[in-house]
Amino acid sequence: MRIIDIIRRSGRNLKSSKTRTILTALAIAVGAFTLALTLAASNGIRSYTDELISSSFDPAELIVGRDKEISNTGAPSDKPQEYDESVASISFGGPGTSLQVKRVSLADIEAMRKLPYVEQVRENFQINIRYITSSANDKKYTGSADVYNSAQKPEISAGMLPSSGDIKKGTLLLPETYLSALGFGSAQDAIGKQVRLSVQKPFSAESIQQLLVSAATGSAPQDQAQELQKVFSYTIGGVTKKAATDFGTGIMPLSLSLGDARELYDYTVQGTADYEKFLYVFARIKNGDNKQNIADAKADLVQKGYFVQSTEDLQKAVGQFVDILTIMIGVFGLITVIASVFGIVNTQYISVLERTREIGLMKALGMSRSGVSRLFMLEATWIGFMGAVLGVLGAYGLSVLLNPVITKQINLDDNLLVFQPVQIAILILALMLVATVAGLLPARKAAKLDPIEALRSE
Amino acid sequence: MIEVKNITKTYGKKDNVFTALSEVSFSAPEGSSVAIIGKSGSGKSTLMHIMSGLDKADSGEVLMGGHDIQKLKRKQADNFRANEMSFIFQSFFVEGNQTVYQNVALPLEIAGVAPRRRKQLIETALKNVELIDKINSKAKNLSGGQKQRLAIARAIVNNPKYIFADEPTGNLDSVTGARIVELLFSIKDSIGSTLFIVTHDHELAEKCDQQVRMSDGRAIDIHQKPAQRPVRKVML
Repeated sequence: MRIIDIIRRSGRNLKSSKTRTILTALAIAVGAFTLALTLAASNGIRSYTDELISSSFDPAELIVGRDKEISNTGAPSDKPQEYDESVASISFGGPGTSLQVKRVSLADIEAMRKLPYVEQVRENFQINIRYITSSANDKKYTGSADVYNSAQKPEISAGMLPSSGDIKKGTLLLPETYLSALGFGSAQDAIGKQVRLSVQKPFSAESIQQLLVSAATGSAPQDQAQELQKVFSYTIGGVTKKAATDFGTGIMPLSLSLGDARELYDYTVQGTADYEKFLYVFARIKNGDNKQNIADAKADLVQKGYFVQSTEDLQKAVGQFVDILTIMIGVFGLITVIASVFGIVNTQYISVLERTREIGLMKALGMSRSGVSRLFMLEATWIGFMGAVLGVLGAYGLSVLLNPVITKQINLDDNLLVFQPVQIAILILALMLVATVAGLLPARKAAKLDPIEALRSE
Repeated sequence: MIEVKNITKTYGKKDNVFTALSEVSFSAPEGSSVAIIGKSGSGKSTLMHIMSGLDKADSGEVLMGGHDIQKLKRKQADNFRANEMSFIFQSFFVEGNQTVYQNVALPLEIAGVAPRRRKQLIETALKNVELIDKINSKAKNLSGGQKQRLAIARAIVNNPKYIFADEPTGNLDSVTGARIVELLFSIKDSIGSTLFIVTHDHELAEKCDQQVRMSDGRAIDIHQKPAQRPVRKVML
C-alpha cells in the first residue's frame, strides 16, 4: 500500500471519530502550547539581554582584568588570595561578605597599550558625585559619571556629538532626566549652560592628620573639610535620551570626556587602595568587528595572565542563565506531553478494538502486517500533528494579545514573545514523532490481529 | 485448475484434539463456481480460510494457478490475496463512515494500483452493481441489499481470479438475496473469476457448477451439476 494512501486513510479514520480525536489532540496541544510559549519567551529574553549587553559594551572591546573573578560567571571564590599590593577587598552583597580581587595596575595598562593588536585601553572610571547642580536653580542632586564611549553613541535630543573620537574636554552629556530638576526648560535650553559637579576626596591618613593638625592650631575645621571637596564646572554639550534597552530603574550616569573623567576619578580615589588600580579595563582591539581578531587577542591576553571577557562571553553567560530558566519551564511542558502520550495510547487501543473487523477485512484483502501497523501509527502521528499545531496556534494567538501589553508594561522596544519558524517546525515534528512512538503499541496489536477471529460473524 | 489435496486441520492438543478438516480433496476448473455446503460446524468456513491462505492447514495442498497457497510465506500470501483474491461476507463489512467510492478503493490501495487507474476501475465496478449513482454517498446510508452490492463491487474491482463468498445472502431477505446471487453470477462470468460460495442454503448451492458437501470436517459428497443446465437459465 502506498504511503500516501495510508496517510489519507488514517486521516479519514480520525475524521470519523472527531470528538475523540480532538480531545486526544488537546492533551498534546497543552504541551505544545507550554513548550512554544517557553521557547518564545526564551527567544525574547535572549534577544533582549543580547541587545542590552551589546548596547552597554562595545563588541570590539575586551574587558581585561587581573583576577579570574572578573571572568567568573558562577559563585565567587571563597579562598583567600595571597597578598600582593594590587589585591583589594571589595564588599558586596552586605556584611559578612567580601571579595579579594587582584587589580590591573598602570604598568599593566602601559604594557597592554604596547601590544600590536590593541588600539586603545580605556580605564574603568566610575565616579561617585556628591552632587550636581546648575546655576539655574542651585538645587543639588545626586548622581554618577562615566566616560563617554565613542563606540556606543547615545541618542541625543539636543546638542551635537563629535562624528568620531571623544567629546571636548570640559563638556559633558546630561541625561534628559536631569533637565527639569536642574531648572532647564527644554533640552535645547540646557545646551551651553554650566553644571557643577562636587566630588569628595576620601579620608586618607594624610588628610586625617591635616584635620587633626588644623583642629590643634585652632584654624576653622570648615575650611579644612572644604579642601577635601572640590567642585568642577562643565558645559553641557548634549542631552542624552534614555536608552531603549535600559532597565526601567536607575539613573543614567553623566558622560565626561576621558581626560575629565580621569581627573575626577583620580581626585576621588587618590590615597586609597583604588588609586591607579582597576578591577578591569576596556581594551579596544584593532579591527575588532572581526570576531577572529577578538578571539586571537583574547587568547593572547589570557596567555599573558589576564582574565578576559568579550561581549560574546557575557552574552553566553547570560544565555546560559536563560537556558536554565527555559529548561526549568520546559520540563513542565514535557510532563504534559508525557501525560498526553498515555492519552494517545489509550485512544488508539480503543480504536483498534472498535475496528477489529475493519482490520480483519484489510488483512484478508492482502494488507500486510506492516501496512496495518503503519495505518495506526500514522493515525497517532496525525493526532500529534493536530495537537502540536493547535497548541502552537494557541501560543501564537496569546503572544499577539500579550506582546503589546508586556511591551508597554515593562517598557521594551521589542516583543518579549518571539516565535522562530525553525524552532516551531522542529517542535511540531518532535511532537509528531512522540505521538507516533505512542501509537506503536496499539499499532502492533492491530498488526498481530488474527483476521479469521476478526471476521467471524456471530 | 484449482486443486485441494488432502487438507487436514486440527485444533487443540493431545486429549483435546478437535479435527476441523480431515483429508478434504476436490478440484474445480478455473472460471467455475463451487458451493461449499454444510451445517454450521461442518468445517466449511475453515476450508475457505485455508484455501485463501488466511489459515494454515496441518497437511495437504491448495494449488491455485500452479502455486501452493499453503507453502507461500506470509508476505507472498498477502500479495497473492491482494492481487488474485477477494471476499464477500455475510455481514457486508463495509465502512459506514466512508463513501461508496472509498470503500471500493480499499482493495486497489492495498494492491498498490496507481491512483490514476483507480477511478476508472471503481466506476466500472459500481456500474456493474448498479451503484454508480451512489458513488459519493456514505455507506451507512445504504440499504442492506445496496451494502451487499457495494461489497460485491469491492470484491470485483480488482478483477480477481478467485472470489470467496461467505454466506453472501445470509443477512438479506429472499427477494434481495436472489437478486444479489443473480448479479454475482453474471459478474463472475463476465470477468471470468472462479467463485467459491460457502453456504448452508441448498437453493443457492444448486446454482453452482459443483457442490462440495461438508460434514464433521469431511467432504462427504462432491457433486457436479449436469452440463445441460447452464447457470443463466436457472436464475431468476
